Amino acid sequence: MAQRHSRRIAGYSGTALSEFLQHMVNMLVLGGTYALLGIGLTLIFGIMNVVNFTHGVLYTFGAYITFIVVQQFGLNFFLALPVAVLAGWLLGAAIELTLLRPLRGSDIDTTMLVMIGAWIAMQSGTLWIWGGVAKSVATPFPDAPLVVGPVSVSWLRLFVLAAAALLIVVTYLLINKTSLGRAMRATFQDHDTASLMGVNVDMIYTSTFAIGSSLAAAAGALLGPVYVIFPQMGDLAAVKAFAIVILGGLGNITGAVIGGFILALAEELGAGYVSSGYRDAMGFLIIIAVLIFKPTGLFARAERVG
Amino acid sequence: MTRALGLTGTVALAAALFGGTAGAQTIKIGVNEPLTGAFAASGTYVVNGAKIAADEINAKGGVLGKKIELVIEDNKSNPTEAAAVAEKLITSDKVPVLMGAWGSSLTLAVMPKLMEYETPMVVETSSSGKITTTGNPFIFRISPPSAVEAAAFKNIVDKLALKKVDFLVINNDWGRGTAEDFSKMMKDKGITIGLVETMDQGAQDMSAQLSKIKSSDSETVIVTTAVDQLTLIFKQAAALGLKKRIITTGGSQNPDQIIAQAGAAANGTMHLTTFLPWFPDKTPNPEATNYFITEWKKRGFEFAGCTESFRGYDGIRTAAAAIEKAGKAEPAAIKAALWDINIKGLNGDIVFRKSGPEGKESGQSQPNVYLIEINDGKVEMKTL
Amino acid sequence: MKAVITILAVVALASVPLWLRDPYLLNALITTGIFVIGAMSLNLLLGFTGQLSLGHIAFFGIGAYVSALTSLGFDVGLPGGFRVVHEPWPPIIGLVFAILAAGLCGYFVGLLSFRVRGAYFVIVTISFAEVVRLVALNWVELTQGPLALTNIPSIALPLPGLSELTLRTKMQNYYLVLVVALIAYLLIARLVRSHFGRAMRGLMENETLAVSVGIDVTKTLTLAAVISAAIAGAAGSLYAHYIRIIDPEVFAFINTVTMVIMVISGGKGSLAGPVVGGLIFGLLPVALRPVMAPEAQWIAYGGVLMAILFVLPRGIVPSLAQRLTRRRSGAKALALTETGVEERA
Repeated sequence: MAQRHSRRIAGYSGTALSEFLQHMVNMLVLGGTYALLGIGLTLIFGIMNVVNFTHGVLYTFGAYITFIVVQQFGLNFFLALPVAVLAGWLLGAAIELTLLRPLRGSDIDTTMLVMIGAWIAMQSGTLWIWGGVAKSVATPFPDAPLVVGPVSVSWLRLFVLAAAALLIVVTYLLINKTSLGRAMRATFQDHDTASLMGVNVDMIYTSTFAIGSSLAAAAGALLGPVYVIFPQMGDLAAVKAFAIVILGGLGNITGAVIGGFILALAEELGAGYVSSGYRDAMGFLIIIAVLIFKPTGLFARAERVG
Repeated sequence: MTRALGLTGTVALAAALFGGTAGAQTIKIGVNEPLTGAFAASGTYVVNGAKIAADEINAKGGVLGKKIELVIEDNKSNPTEAAAVAEKLITSDKVPVLMGAWGSSLTLAVMPKLMEYETPMVVETSSSGKITTTGNPFIFRISPPSAVEAAAFKNIVDKLALKKVDFLVINNDWGRGTAEDFSKMMKDKGITIGLVETMDQGAQDMSAQLSKIKSSDSETVIVTTAVDQLTLIFKQAAALGLKKRIITTGGSQNPDQIIAQAGAAANGTMHLTTFLPWFPDKTPNPEATNYFITEWKKRGFEFAGCTESFRGYDGIRTAAAAIEKAGKAEPAAIKAALWDINIKGLNGDIVFRKSGPEGKESGQSQPNVYLIEINDGKVEMKTL
Repeated sequence: MKAVITILAVVALASVPLWLRDPYLLNALITTGIFVIGAMSLNLLLGFTGQLSLGHIAFFGIGAYVSALTSLGFDVGLPGGFRVVHEPWPPIIGLVFAILAAGLCGYFVGLLSFRVRGAYFVIVTISFAEVVRLVALNWVELTQGPLALTNIPSIALPLPGLSELTLRTKMQNYYLVLVVALIAYLLIARLVRSHFGRAMRGLMENETLAVSVGIDVTKTLTLAAVISAAIAGAAGSLYAHYIRIIDPEVFAFINTVTMVIMVISGGKGSLAGPVVGGLIFGLLPVALRPVMAPEAQWIAYGGVLMAILFVLPRGIVPSLAQRLTRRRSGAKALALTETGVEERA
């Protein structure tokens, strides 16, 4: 008590600074998760030109996979992560093969609406199987946070940040350093030419959707234990992911990462210093402003517009 | 199976279309609750509580010599649907009384329909002050609006020695109403009100708001939201090293779920609640409470749901008591009888007092409010 | 032939309250009708200019709030110490203001749509709707925020020589919605068949070509956005005065999704598409309700949506029209589908 009292005497500026530092740390942790949400979607959106409304459901799916592995089978949390990635990959491939491949060549609105139908059906299926009561997942991390000076952050969220960074780097290398990545980039540039050059475009599309889906499931598996798990948890995540992708430019992984941190910064400062009621509005206002001045996102590639 | 169901559906539809009321064998009570969408978990709990009440009443011979039948419809957590469901229950199913509709905006959307068809509704959960103050004489509410909760809390704030209080509330009628009513009450008591922060209904990350609160010079935070966000807030507050006293309001906390999911982060938090399933003997009606909890467990539901589902149980018993008193299953008679009933609910006597503009008052019951504290993963009762 | 079908459809719809006695089904038809009007306005943007707005509910919601506030009155402080006090006005004026206010917002979004296309436009509209929702949620003094605007009066029609006719019954509201829907339909039909409509379609098919033959892109897109938003605003006003309570939930994303489903499943770019799609997806939940569990109803809803698109990928009306004409004469089919819009009108 005496300590707190003395801190108050130490003056407003001290508290203001530590509050600011805390907001910055929050922003880093939140930004990492937003970036992870964004990169899966930006691949699918950019390469396949599909407005993927199932992204949020796959995120939810990944979270429920950790719940099953950890809470129902009693296995280790670290084992749950690769299981969720694999399950997301398989579900993504299945969605692509059954719902998107037959509609190849249809316009973007038709595939979008099919994705909307899949989203509604899958989300309701989740509610039917697990009910609406939120679940939580135990992790091996300590409850007590890491405290450095005036700033504190939970160990679990630090782990999530590190894992997100790792996944982002792996995805970046996959796209830029492998032959699959080269084929994906060729398809992104011009899928007719890619096809003429001998790229199996169908295979690329399935791979892209599966990779994007596994990234969404990974995000859910990492964030499920941070938050709580319930059937509608993916909705807000998906809207944010869309915003991040647009902010960064379609198909641009680096852009999505930076977009994720910009959105987190806007929300954190908006809630901290403007009004918590307008917290989410900050992100959207930035998006509107960015698109007014740079209509193809901050980091769009010149060769592809719209 | 599906086909058979489809057939009965068609028959029901046909019966509705041709206005058949072929010899009512049962007395119907309409239940208008969110079973899908954002409030699915809570609505399902309330419906499960309602079913226990109906089965109990029927096992004892029903009402007026007939069995009661719950007609349960999903309002999809959507006000438009809530109004449509009320319309269906009243006109197609011909229920003489309803219970619903969980959230305040859902209940508010139903209210014009009650006026149109002059059918009473027992409101079991909604807390918005507007529900009983806008002059709808068909509303009978058993849950406490935030002003009633604030008034009950008034008696104990002295013992808690509060000096400066911040608020973190869900940005809907419930949270905003609580912040308003509790602030008013506390200012009268000489307590300073600091920050009033809000969070969106679906928000998962409240770190920004909590960081702001962490840096304020208050010693207590009043938090109002449903159990999922409470769990997140306790976890995130612990991660941020927020060491203030947290008091939650609203009675939708499901403390056992919080203990299970937030773990140590829940220790030391206090909760204003309207039902004490942990201490049946301390409730106003121990016998009924014990029966309800035993039945709840027997049906395999999670114990944590009790603090929500008891409202469905009380709501149906209220409606059934009114039908019994009315002597006939007709809306006008039930509405009149609701003013005369006095039943022992699980959280106090259910007696309706007049609220709202003169001549078209709504009924409001005054349930008890208790303060509990979570310590070492256990619920403890604080004496009021 | 097409005109005959249209007239028959209108007569059939107009006769509904005369034989349908169930108020619940009539209520479902009224709310469906209101959303069909919204879907028709969305179709004007999506189907005839190719711009997908996933924030269309913003115009609907703005119409609902403007209309409700006009008829309820308000007293609100503005920055700089000003106070605006508004006494309640008749709801019918609220309807007019709703159309004007939504149209004005449509103008600004239309200006944006000139700069921002495709997926980027989608996000701009989503963002716009979210910002409007958050303003409605947080500007409590004006909108009462989440406490909702309640006791919104029903629309009253001033009858010449008589006193006002307040539309309280289901039947009156049904005809009100039908009349507004018909006006919206005819307005859009006329628009689409005008020089302006050809400009819009030209723009959608080949912008470079359209510009080269002298189509003013900005003006065309802006005008389409204004009219589309104004019609959505009218639908919102009908909603507010029929449901008689609104809160920020009216801006929920699922409401936009409902309209998008109605337009694309029925067939974008076809005048009858949103009406057919709207009636199917507006009434499907009503049909599913007695048949299965609540969660299963949503699964079936999503399933039906996917099935329709697999069988009729261009939407119900254009795909069926194409099949019909192909059966009648193979040669004419191509020409007709190319001008699918006009043959439906």
